[in-house]
Amino acid sequence: MAKQILSLYKLYLKMDIAWLFRDAKTAFLMIIADVLSNLSAVTGIFLLAWRFDGIGGMSRHEVLFMLAYSTILTGIFQTFFCGGNTAHISRVIGRGQLEHAFIQPLPLFVQWLTSGFIPISGSSNLISGIVIMIIALNQLDLVLPWWWIFSLVANLIITTALILAQSYLSASLAFYAPVQAEEISTIVIDEFAYIGNFPLSGMPKLLQISLITIIPTGLLAWFPTLALFGKTPFGITAWYPLFFAIILWIIALYFFKKGLKYYVKKGINRYHPMGHRR
Amino acid sequence: MSKKASIDTTQWDTAVEISGVTKIFTQWQRENSSRGVLRNLFKPQKKIITALDDVSLTVKRGEFVAYAGPNGAGKSTTMKLLAGMLQPTTGSVKVMELSPDKDRIKLMKRLGVLFGNRTELWWDHPVSQSFEWKKVVWAIPDEVYKRNLEMVTELLDIGDLLKTFTRELSLGQRMKADLALLLLHSPEVILLDEPTLGLDVVAKRQMINFLKKINRENNVTIIVTSHDMDDLEEMAQRILMIANGKIAYDGDFDGLRSIAQNSTKVIVTTDTGVTEYEINLQTNPINSLLRRLSEVEGIRDVEIKKAPIEAVIAELYRGWRGA
Repeated sequence: MAKQILSLYKLYLKMDIAWLFRDAKTAFLMIIADVLSNLSAVTGIFLLAWRFDGIGGMSRHEVLFMLAYSTILTGIFQTFFCGGNTAHISRVIGRGQLEHAFIQPLPLFVQWLTSGFIPISGSSNLISGIVIMIIALNQLDLVLPWWWIFSLVANLIITTALILAQSYLSASLAFYAPVQAEEISTIVIDEFAYIGNFPLSGMPKLLQISLITIIPTGLLAWFPTLALFGKTPFGITAWYPLFFAIILWIIALYFFKKGLKYYVKKGINRYHPMGHRR
Repeated sequence: MSKKASIDTTQWDTAVEISGVTKIFTQWQRENSSRGVLRNLFKPQKKIITALDDVSLTVKRGEFVAYAGPNGAGKSTTMKLLAGMLQPTTGSVKVMELSPDKDRIKLMKRLGVLFGNRTELWWDHPVSQSFEWKKVVWAIPDEVYKRNLEMVTELLDIGDLLKTFTRELSLGQRMKADLALLLLHSPEVILLDEPTLGLDVVAKRQMINFLKKINRENNVTIIVTSHDMDDLEEMAQRILMIANGKIAYDGDFDGLRSIAQNSTKVIVTTDTGVTEYEINLQTNPINSLLRRLSEVEGIRDVEIKKAPIEAVIAELYRGWRGA
């Protein structure tokens, strides 16, 4: 299975290159548009941090690091899970496209793990984020232990898993209401990413606690940033996002499997080819 | 055919076995009035649809079966049950002795499914890229892939399409490419739902000939649905008709004509003119008919036409609706 997963990643890499570079003009325009869009997404908050010399106890460059973390996170998410709407799974369910997945001789998780891989056309955020993070780390002038980079990667994997769990949990609704919930994964992902960019330091405690428990947008960039600098809020363990992600995945899998059973029992009286294959 | 698409290593005789399958759907309904909207808020109006009602059928290995029925009769539901896209409310489904639900991955390596109104091709890539995608996803060995690619390219005449982007293809070309894609992993059973939908006469003929060839020479079992009865008659040896969720007929096309009591037309041309007769061949056997015709004075030509299958089916559909 591992060999086939690698073959699939290789195939999707090749297909992504072929897709993006089908003509030089389009490829160039897409890359420029992506870079500008990524920079503008983080500029607003960074300018605020610059003007007020930091936000809520976080220095300017700590805020910049957090924005870089968030941009890398979006980049990882887009690189690995945005092809074929595998992350925006409610679209696949709502448009009746799951049936294409059923006729492939692969477990569904393998299909969704690999078919979203668009390492070239989806990596602009990842590259921009890495550049911004290098700038932030240089400005912060920290002495970091060798294992810190592994800690950073682990945090990024955990937060990616968190976003995916939220997407799959909300997408469970699309099994029951395909038309109404078709875009629910996208709405949840976009809203969480938008709020997740704001540094919560200095906010009322009740709000901070709410945003790392009930609506866990604080776990997307703010909490991991503080954890990576050894300043976790409220003295909570740095492993907290991992526990949260595990619990969220258990809940998401329970409801998603339940929805899937409902889908194959009741069927779906809808098919729309939009977004299927590209 | 020298290029065989499938190498059979398994022992099975029954391609498809459906036993006592019932499939029930719930359909949302609402009156188009403010009262209807309000009422649906508290007590949604739902209609129970029995798409399949205790259906049992068997298809043997190597058969070419037409699956027909009026709109909403349950054809696509059956195809989806066989392809593992749906599960029955009650009853069991087996394809090549495998359960589409429990043995999905194993089954999909050996089953080919094509829905005429959908595509498995990648839109923004050349057709050959979709073929390569299939090779990796289905883990098709190199030699099998190469052999099958050569076969479908030659028989479906798609050599010129391989470099073309899918979105540039016409409907007929797309269907041919989809059919070629379907065959790359040497499926032993093929399910085709409306494969000739929207095809012109030439493309349709090419597809029908191709399907007959792989059925005859490679012993591939094919189940096909279509609303075009002439196409079905040309392709299949057996027709299964479904109406109101039940199997209404299972047999050959001539048998279908006889149950519909549809007469055969005999057009006789003599020195004095052309006369058309409608004859029931069950009550007037063909040998006695020919004997009598040979006695007619000044006969120049005799044309015997079977009742058009479209007319036979239309008559049956009308009857079922009224039932």
